[in-house]
Amino acid sequence: MTRTALVVGELSQGRLAGATHEAIGAAAIVSGSPAGVSVLLAGRSARTAAGELARSGVARVVVVEDPRFDAGPPAVLAVQAAATAARIGVGVVVVGGTTFGREIAGRVAARWDGAVATGVTEVAPEGESVRVRRPVFGGRATETRVLGGPRVVLAIRPHAFPTPASDGPTPPIEVVPAADLPAPLLGPIRTGVESAAAGAGPGLSDAAIVVSGGRGLRGPENFHLVEELAASLGAAVGASRAVTDAGWRPGSLQVGQTGKAVSPQLYIAVGISGAIQHLVGMVSSRVIVAINSDASAPIFRVADYGVVGDLFEIVPALTAEIRRVRAT
Amino acid sequence: MEIVVCVKPVPEAETRLRPDAAGTALDPEGVKYVLAGYDESAVEQALLLRESIPGSRVHVVACGPAPRTEEVLRAALALGCDVATWVDVPAASADEPLSAARALASAISPHSPDLVLCGKQAGDNEAGVVPAALGELLGVPDLSYVLDVRWNAGASRFSLKRASEAGLESWTVPAPCVLGLQQAWNDPRTAKLPAILKSRKAPIARVTPPSAAADPASSPRRFELPPPRTGAKMIEYKTADEAATRLVRALREEAKVLP
Ligand SMILES: Cc1cc2nc3c(=O)[nH]c(=O)nc-3n(C[C@H](O)[C@H](O)[C@H](O)COP(=O)(O)OP(=O)(O)OC[C@H]3O[C@@H](n4cnc5c(N)ncnc54)[C@H](O)[C@@H]3O)c2cc1C
Repeated sequence: MTRTALVVGELSQGRLAGATHEAIGAAAIVSGSPAGVSVLLAGRSARTAAGELARSGVARVVVVEDPRFDAGPPAVLAVQAAATAARIGVGVVVVGGTTFGREIAGRVAARWDGAVATGVTEVAPEGESVRVRRPVFGGRATETRVLGGPRVVLAIRPHAFPTPASDGPTPPIEVVPAADLPAPLLGPIRTGVESAAAGAGPGLSDAAIVVSGGRGLRGPENFHLVEELAASLGAAVGASRAVTDAGWRPGSLQVGQTGKAVSPQLYIAVGISGAIQHLVGMVSSRVIVAINSDASAPIFRVADYGVVGDLFEIVPALTAEIRRVRAT
Repeated sequence: MEIVVCVKPVPEAETRLRPDAAGTALDPEGVKYVLAGYDESAVEQALLLRESIPGSRVHVVACGPAPRTEEVLRAALALGCDVATWVDVPAASADEPLSAARALASAISPHSPDLVLCGKQAGDNEAGVVPAALGELLGVPDLSYVLDVRWNAGASRFSLKRASEAGLESWTVPAPCVLGLQQAWNDPRTAKLPAILKSRKAPIARVTPPSAAADPASSPRRFELPPPRTGAKMIEYKTADEAATRLVRALREEAKVLP
């Protein structure tokens, strides 16, 4: 049995977040096809953003044009999502793998009484139920769970699902008024955003490529080598704790047990030894490259590709090569 | 101010992970369960707020089986929490995030706290569901990925930062609310020996959730370790340029992670 699905869309600066396209991809797997998927978009730019789903082949786009969704916390959209899911009568709610999506999943699950799984990397219908796989323990293990019952809530992991092709019919747009939003949930107010330092590229946690530097760089004055390699790839910059503790770069860039956990498509570790506390933050990356002068460094045991050599020679050559292939 | 902080016993970071005999969950045999990571940051935040708001009390609450749950509650008491409540549920319920949120909510709601703090996710199953689910079950707003919470008495609101994809957001949130804490932004204190000794004898209230808090239909099927990586494919080269060309070719043509 397949379930019809509701994807809760996330708008970022008036546009559909990439995570929402991935969520539609995951929902189409549970539903058997995009035609079983409805998409909820809420906020002032919801109707415009719905245009981005032309030819997506989804069943419908439910649009709620209400500014309270732009300013409010994720909880407000969660209330709308639970109400919309109940009204259309779907069997699964899917959200993207962003911080926003995760928060929505928890509240929708409690409000709509659904079995919930977050950080999902694989999903498949199984009889009356939904089977999911998700990494646990910082990617050091994987669990498979079976979610039964009439209602299931899934938050997917970034970069785990392909964005669907856009060769289907254009969905009808249904404009509906906002659900009854409980007053306490409108209490939190966002007063500002200090965006990740100008030109710093994508955020660490949701970047498709991460380039991290370690103590092998010898000092803050050399860290630009890592940043230039990252820039050539459109990647986010990360660091080992040796680097952040020494104050070469801010703590927000730290990857590992006491920093951020990342799972990009490609992780490049430059001058990082591969201590267990660093590994738990990045081993679930799809492809790992290590550049280190010490052939016995533990990082090579988790890497897919290794270059044993002096980073001061290898990294500039690599940056130049990437710029060259990108230009051609 | 009544501050509740929720903590979960999780295997210490150095644990050698192994599936149990049924292959469905982590084998708990020989595993040491600790107060760790995100929850340490939440406890530290609770204690910092207590220090800045006169007349505050920090109440630590955990759900799970004996003896691990009692041990983490004692660890939190040793750090300075004032009182502790143990919600006695089996490990399977504590590991299913919505069941855990329901068990915690049943123990928390009689106390009508002004603030509930949690780690943004558990250090083991990394679900991140509990803060938002608790917000729903307690009927209050929630925000997660939070750091640096301060109380603004004049406005009766907390001001805080939230780490999102957009950067570092600033928010103000009225009490009561539930907040899920980021890790590693504060430097959690460590317990001193006299406090550790004292915590061993401290009373811990034990409660059992109403059985009405039925478990949702989510069951573990398999717990697997990733296949051992076969070791890195080493790039052979004579010059740095050659290393770069070969690596980029491998990433494009073999691994297909670059266009
Ligand atoms: C409780 C706890 C929590 C921790 N949490 C974290 C965490 O979240 N994240 C984290 O990263 N660490 C964490 N650590 C620290 C961790 O144990 C390591 O100390 C740290 O990761 C080491 O950083 P590094 O690899 O940059 O430095 P090192 O271990 O010093 O490695 C430097 C590497 O650079 C290589 N190198 C040197 N020169 C060159 C060159 N010219 N070319 C190429 N390679 C070169 C060396 O061969 C070496 O392998 C934690 C530790 C503890 C105890």
